[in-house]
Amino acid sequence: MAVEVRIPTVFRKFTGGESVVELEAGTISDLIDQLEARFPGLKEQLLTEEGELHRFVNVYVNDEDARYLEKLETKVAEGETVAILPSVAGG
Amino acid sequence: MTVEVNIPGPLADEMVGHCLEGRPHEACGILATKDGIVVKVFRMTNASGSPVRYSLDPKEQFAAYRKIDDEGWELGGVFHSHTHTEAYPSPTDVRMASEEVPYLIVSLAEEPPVIRAFRIIKEDWLAEEGRIEEVPVVVNG
Repeated sequence: MAVEVRIPTVFRKFTGGESVVELEAGTISDLIDQLEARFPGLKEQLLTEEGELHRFVNVYVNDEDARYLEKLETKVAEGETVAILPSVAGG
Repeated sequence: MTVEVNIPGPLADEMVGHCLEGRPHEACGILATKDGIVVKVFRMTNASGSPVRYSLDPKEQFAAYRKIDDEGWELGGVFHSHTHTEAYPSPTDVRMASEEVPYLIVSLAEEPPVIRAFRIIKEDWLAEEGRIEEVPVVVNG
């Protein structure tokens, strides 16, 4: 069983419209590298030049915000679900 | 490309009702569409809890996006209220816009409340500046 990564609408132009991608287990950082290998250009949408998550990107592992776990070093095991979410906000 | 927001009357009422209940804070949520017509209003918590700012609660957003995918719906729009100003994107709305779907604004400054929708077009989703294009809102029934 792989890791299921859910891709939000705003990034589906990079994934050819795919909303769910199955990847091999690893850290979130590993998963982002796997995404980049399959869908070039996606990584720079998610990470800053310094390699941190963009402030408008939220990553959830199961139901937990990765920022409150171990950020990009959070380990994702087989069978777990990762969701990438754009922060939706305004005034 | 969305040419209009087509929303049945009862769902428009539900969206406006959520905005009225949220006062004095801004209220927010998302709309799911199927075949271009709104089929579900997700009333969400304004995680900013403010009369001049909103942000979708990410946990609720995660659950709603998942439901949309599971039901075979599409993300059809993001809505929020302006409690005292017109139904037009504020500079903050433009700067923080991240989704490419229409942003609906419900102005509670007028009676009855006014619903308008806009696409905020950016070079890429992290850009701070964008062009505002109005999208007609069609309320049916």
